[in-house]
Amino acid sequence: MKTSITRAIIILIFFLAGITIFTMNLSRRDEKQVVQQIMVKGNQLISLIPLLPMTKFQSQDGKFFLRTLIEYDTDKDIAYFYIHDNSGKSVIGMTAGGAAYPIPDVVSIRAINTMQLLNQNFVLVGTKDKIFEFARPMFDKGQRIGSVRLGLKLKKLSMFSLENMQTLAMIAFFILAAMLLSYYGITLALKPLRNISENLQNACGEGQLGAVSFPGNGHIAPIVSGLEKSLGIITRRLNQIETDNMNLASKLGTATFEKNRIVKILDSIPFGILIADTQDNVGHVNEYLLNLLKKTRNEVIDKPMSEVLANDEISAFISQQDGFAHGGTAQSIDSEFPDLAPGDLFRISMAYLLDEDRNSVGKMVLVNNMTSEKLAENAKQEFIVHVAHELLTPLTNIKSYSEMLMDGEIEDLDMQKEFYNTINEQTTRLSDLIKNLLNISKMEVGSMTLKKGLVRTDWFVEDCLSSIEASAKEKNIAIERNLPDVFPTLTADKDMLKAAVINLLGNALKYTPENGTITFAIGEQDRMVTFDVTDTGYGIAEDELPQIFDKFFRSANPQVTDEIGSGLGLSITAEIVRLHDGEIDARSELGVGTQFTIKIPREEYYLGSQ
Amino acid sequence: MAASRTVLVIDDDAYIRRVVQLKLKIHGYEVLTARDGEEGFTLIKTRQPDVVVSDINMPKIDGRTLCKLTNALKQKRPFLTIIMTARISPDERDWIEAMTDTQFMEKPFSPARLIKDINRYFGIDEK
Repeated sequence: MKTSITRAIIILIFFLAGITIFTMNLSRRDEKQVVQQIMVKGNQLISLIPLLPMTKFQSQDGKFFLRTLIEYDTDKDIAYFYIHDNSGKSVIGMTAGGAAYPIPDVVSIRAINTMQLLNQNFVLVGTKDKIFEFARPMFDKGQRIGSVRLGLKLKKLSMFSLENMQTLAMIAFFILAAMLLSYYGITLALKPLRNISENLQNACGEGQLGAVSFPGNGHIAPIVSGLEKSLGIITRRLNQIETDNMNLASKLGTATFEKNRIVKILDSIPFGILIADTQDNVGHVNEYLLNLLKKTRNEVIDKPMSEVLANDEISAFISQQDGFAHGGTAQSIDSEFPDLAPGDLFRISMAYLLDEDRNSVGKMVLVNNMTSEKLAENAKQEFIVHVAHELLTPLTNIKSYSEMLMDGEIEDLDMQKEFYNTINEQTTRLSDLIKNLLNISKMEVGSMTLKKGLVRTDWFVEDCLSSIEASAKEKNIAIERNLPDVFPTLTADKDMLKAAVINLLGNALKYTPENGTITFAIGEQDRMVTFDVTDTGYGIAEDELPQIFDKFFRSANPQVTDEIGSGLGLSITAEIVRLHDGEIDARSELGVGTQFTIKIPREEYYLGSQ
Repeated sequence: MAASRTVLVIDDDAYIRRVVQLKLKIHGYEVLTARDGEEGFTLIKTRQPDVVVSDINMPKIDGRTLCKLTNALKQKRPFLTIIMTARISPDERDWIEAMTDTQFMEKPFSPARLIKDINRYFGIDEK
């Protein structure tokens, strides 16, 4: 309040000073005009009067002249008029009001003696009137005969003359009008600014500006103050936004990094993943599925899922799942992509992607290649069927032969003996089969471990051969030894290696007709100890050779099938050799014979090594 | 009593062939034997047995394939097929039932039961 009064006083002082200066200027201008009029009038009169002869003034005409002069002087400017002769004596003269004017002597002397037009002015003592005196010499026939003096009085000018007052009133009117117009104009001009200010205040939040008080009760101050405050808030907001932006950029960077990492993880997963939105449009497909579908990522993104997968069975499955509640639990079907991956079987699972409120936000389809699992499952099933068959065959024999004996259907004693022998053989067959199956089982789970030790091959050879010698003699089969002068030593699991070699020797004996020959050789080659078992048996057909180490494989050769066998011996032998980091191979010719070779790396033996 | 009736025994196991053959002969059947499905199929076509007793797991042609092959022959000349099976495969019973005049005998089987089934096929009452 105090500030506004001070401001008002200052404005008033400036206003009054302005008026005063303006009025003074007006007076000075008036004075200049009057002085100029006096100068013109004085100069005109002083130029004209000396043209009359002196004699005119000395006669009666002189009075007439003075009357004419007084009439002429309507403005009553003339203070005095004198004509002097050369002696300085006044020939004719008059003064306003008839009183003598106290003209300073210096003025009079200079005027009386002047030789040319002389203008001088002075202030009268007492009245303070300003007198302009015009003097000029008078000539007659080229001789100076005297001088003429004319004194004109400068009228006192009033600063507050009617004219000046009118002018001032007009100026005041114009100033007032200008002020009103300016006020109106400024108000109009400020309106958008006020709107901006108000909008800014609103944009910055009323709560924050509510506490702001604007100084002054004018129009501009609140706006400017409001703008300043708004600007401050905007600046703070901008800083905050910049900080937020940096944080967001950082978070975005982290999110992008995480996203890329997830995409990489998804791409490294060995099954297909497709993620679709609630409209079943594809959002992501991992590399595995892209490779399977033989498509690029751009070809599948935002495309309908059914178009991307192009499999009616899967589309039907997904539609079927849509009919159920979105439980989020994965359901699955097995399907194929015959054109893309012929022969492969895929398990298609689908799960709903749920948000925190358990609303569906999309779907995830998993495409898992189950071919190897299916093959493994088939192989397992096949293995079980095979094992059951192999176990049931000796059991069937035991049951059949014993049943016939019990039923008393076999009366012949020799035949009875044969039957008992058969039951005995089949029991051994069954137990051997079970042992082999246990070995196979150990190999399958990887629990078969070697107990390595030093093997003296000379003793090893005899050990192995002694197990078949009796049976060989029965079939009149010769056993030949092809042995080196110096027996190599070997580090191996003696019992297992012996089982492997005896398997080969047993097969040779089984599948070699009477009067044949079995040759057992031992040697050393490229730091490997070699065991060769060669027979003169039935031989193995060329097309069957690659399968002889497969579990349960048995030759279709009737000479082979007539002999008892489970088809497990060679696969166990091969596994034992593999565990010793060795090699096994077979060469054979139908009707000529077969040669199996086992090679075992010859490790250096150290005391205490296992 | 049934001397003219021929039974073909197909099995890759010689001991089974031997015991079934003996049992059938004791009960008056003429017996043919084969070591695998291929040999058996040849004998079915050439010797036209009245009953075929066959294993499933055999070299060359297995029991299931043999049944499929002989099913066509049974349209012209019906005969009984008895499949000796472990009945491990879940679909085994289904495909056996789908075949004409085919029944299964679970392993380990009884030779006496086999004779009973064959006799019943021929309408012979066991005493």
